[in-house]
Amino acid sequence: MKKDQLPPVKVRIEGLSFYYDGVVKALKDIDLDILDRRVTTLIGPSGCGKSTLLRVLNRIYDLYPNQKAEGKVLIDGQNILEGAGNISTLRAKVGMVFQRPTPFPLSIYENIAFPLRLYARLSRNEIDEMVETALQKAALWNEVKDKLHKSGLGLSGGQQQRLCIARAIAIRPEILLLDEPASALDPISTAQIDELVRELRNDFCVVMVTHNLQQAARIGDYTGLMYLGELIEFSETDAIFTNPKHKRTQDYITGRFG
Amino acid sequence: MKPDPGLVLRRTVVNRIAIGLFLGATLLAVAVLVLILGKLVFAGVSAFSIAIFTQGTPAPGGTGGLLNAIIGSAAMTLVAILLATPIAVLAGTYLAEYGRRSQLGNVVRFLNDTLLSAPSIIIGLFVYGVMVVPAGHFSGWAGAAALALIALPVIVRTTEDMLRLIPDSLREAAVALGCPYWRMIVSIAWRAARSGILTGILLAVARISGETAPLLFTALNNQFISVDMNAPTASLPVVIFQFAMSPYRDWQNLAWAGALLITFSVLLLNIVARTIVSRGSR
Amino acid sequence: MFTGADSEMDQKTAGPSGDLLPATAGRGVRVTRGAAVEPYFIWLTRICAVVVMVLLAGIFMVLLIDSLPALRKFGFGFFASTAWNPVKEQFGALAPVCGTLISSAIAMLIGVPLALGIALFLNELCPFKLRATLTVTIELLAAIPSIIYGMWGLFVLAPFMSTHVQPLLIAWLGPLPLVGALFQGPPFGIGMLTAGLILGVMILPFIASISRQVFATTPPVLREAAYGVGANTWEVSLHVLIPYARTGLLGGIMLGLGRALGETMAVTFVIGNAHRISASLLSPGTTISATLANEFTEAVGDVYLSSLLALGLILFMITFAVLFLARYMLGRIDQKVAA
Repeated sequence: MKKDQLPPVKVRIEGLSFYYDGVVKALKDIDLDILDRRVTTLIGPSGCGKSTLLRVLNRIYDLYPNQKAEGKVLIDGQNILEGAGNISTLRAKVGMVFQRPTPFPLSIYENIAFPLRLYARLSRNEIDEMVETALQKAALWNEVKDKLHKSGLGLSGGQQQRLCIARAIAIRPEILLLDEPASALDPISTAQIDELVRELRNDFCVVMVTHNLQQAARIGDYTGLMYLGELIEFSETDAIFTNPKHKRTQDYITGRFG
Repeated sequence: MKPDPGLVLRRTVVNRIAIGLFLGATLLAVAVLVLILGKLVFAGVSAFSIAIFTQGTPAPGGTGGLLNAIIGSAAMTLVAILLATPIAVLAGTYLAEYGRRSQLGNVVRFLNDTLLSAPSIIIGLFVYGVMVVPAGHFSGWAGAAALALIALPVIVRTTEDMLRLIPDSLREAAVALGCPYWRMIVSIAWRAARSGILTGILLAVARISGETAPLLFTALNNQFISVDMNAPTASLPVVIFQFAMSPYRDWQNLAWAGALLITFSVLLLNIVARTIVSRGSR
Repeated sequence: MFTGADSEMDQKTAGPSGDLLPATAGRGVRVTRGAAVEPYFIWLTRICAVVVMVLLAGIFMVLLIDSLPALRKFGFGFFASTAWNPVKEQFGALAPVCGTLISSAIAMLIGVPLALGIALFLNELCPFKLRATLTVTIELLAAIPSIIYGMWGLFVLAPFMSTHVQPLLIAWLGPLPLVGALFQGPPFGIGMLTAGLILGVMILPFIASISRQVFATTPPVLREAAYGVGANTWEVSLHVLIPYARTGLLGGIMLGLGRALGETMAVTFVIGNAHRISASLLSPGTTISATLANEFTEAVGDVYLSSLLALGLILFMITFAVLFLARYMLGRIDQKVAA
């Protein structure tokens, strides 16, 4: 990993706390800097808040009135927690891929065209091109190029998830959030997704939640360990795995809990 | 990708219009409910008096009440439920306990759901052909039979649904103790599902209380207060139909009073049924 | 797990998969008291279940047999004739059948979009605090007996249509070329349009309630993914929610149609009971169920009665075709009281 020129900070999180039903504190005063063009992985046992943290970054929690966030999340210097802004614009900047593959009940082509049309008036040719680029980047093009107009639901699990990734990157976001993208997939598909994430790093700021330590060690540039809503330790992946500073980190990595 | 601001504007406008339409539809439904209930209460209350419960239906121009209709409806509803409940509960039990995946079970389930939504006037015609014609006259029994046929699929469906909600682990626990399967159903499954089954019965009562069409050619109508089920029997819905369609003012007023009575009972039954279910599920 | 007594595998031991039951004597396990009753109980429940099947078949048979006289007399002309003359004993089904179809069509045109709007509002936009109350309100609307809708139609809606709405329709739309033919004639108030309106209002809560339940089965992850790409409520509803739920929605709509076709009381009050087909929606007409409700008790003569029963048979077949299709599409919808 090149250390000569560190990329800029893309997301700066300051004092972030998150509440369910006003009472349960799922995130406790988190401070974190996430760098652009790097893969940042979040690890930790179930319920530690890593997915919650991810979901703050595109404000998907807005859909649920009993969930609330406090503090600051600065993307390119702008606090996304405050002010309405246009949620659409935020979501154009921050793409998300979920744990379970979620193809829309549309054709493969339309799955990707639908979000594209939300943001720009494009001609048929332009859309065709962008669909192909996205599917190529997601390593899915060769498998589906002859059946673009078939339903997305007809693909295998691994293909569906790659379709979701293609859909997320088609609108060229700047940040890509991946919530345990391979946990519902078989080992071969997982390996393909891993490869994919390593490639995506060149173009996006990638934040990935995973419960698979080996996966974090393989593809993360930076890793953060969370436990019970707190960020215990955060640093370069090598450092975390070979020379953890906190006992908890040590315990988690060696499998003493979680 | 930087969003095209013109597009964002258009999308926002379209979204606002759509949201407005959705909201409008909901408000319209609420408004209609208010209008209907409002008219019902207004017209019904002003025509209401103790005479409703003490006197029978009058001739046009006279004063009177709805006693014969109330008694007739109550009697036929009672008989209908008594007839339908045992058969329906047992049929629902079959579907939930023995026939979960059998061919017979699937067919019966399918047909039951169809019967559930069948036009009630057809049921009336059927009972006419099967009971009124051979007997040569209309009767309260025929009316009750028609109502029973409408209540039957409702109770079958709710019984099956409620029994299905009970976890199989409960059944296994009983059987593991050596309890015969049928015994388990009667002593354990039915007991556990009883609030749900009761709800189903209440909902069936609510449903048949408001039914007019099936009574039109089975029980017909009767001007006099009587409890002879073997003769044409008055019922609230049929009386309301006759009076409301007539040109006489006092009859129309009585019709509104009757309508208020029916609606009130039906809504009350529905609310009670819901409360039972939410309490019973604790 | 529980294969039930009637599945192919297990004909011998009743109840769930045989190994859960105490085996009979041969295995050295004690036969429990009361086990002998089991087969009788199963047969009892089985017979009760079959009653449903028998009923449906019975209804069809009775209607068929009793309408034969009329069908034999008029032949296939019965379906094409608008004649309805009790004195000359000439009857035709065309007017009532058309009336049934047209009033139902109007009802669906009004009811379905409104119902979908309500269902989407309740699921996507309604503030959580109001959600339960509004849901219950809609379901209570669906529980109101149809005779109440009919009375309201006759005493409130029809006069309103007659004084305020229909004159406007006649003045604005009447003169137009094609569309104008639908809005001719005196503003009676009662008639096909009002009947369709009342019918629409009546099936609206029914379809809304089913649609809401269907939408509620959308996996939350799918919703999040759709909002996550930046789509707004309208776009998510149109491009993701409705396509996902389309089979269930269609089933619910078909159920609503079945209800509209067979509805009697809501329509009889306001349809005007005229045995004719007219181009104008403002003129009176009749439906199958309205005809039956109005004329059955006064019908004299075998031909008259038989013709009415033949109408009943036609209604039976139309509604059952629609209902079969609905069930096929829906699988089973949950009609449990909304939690």
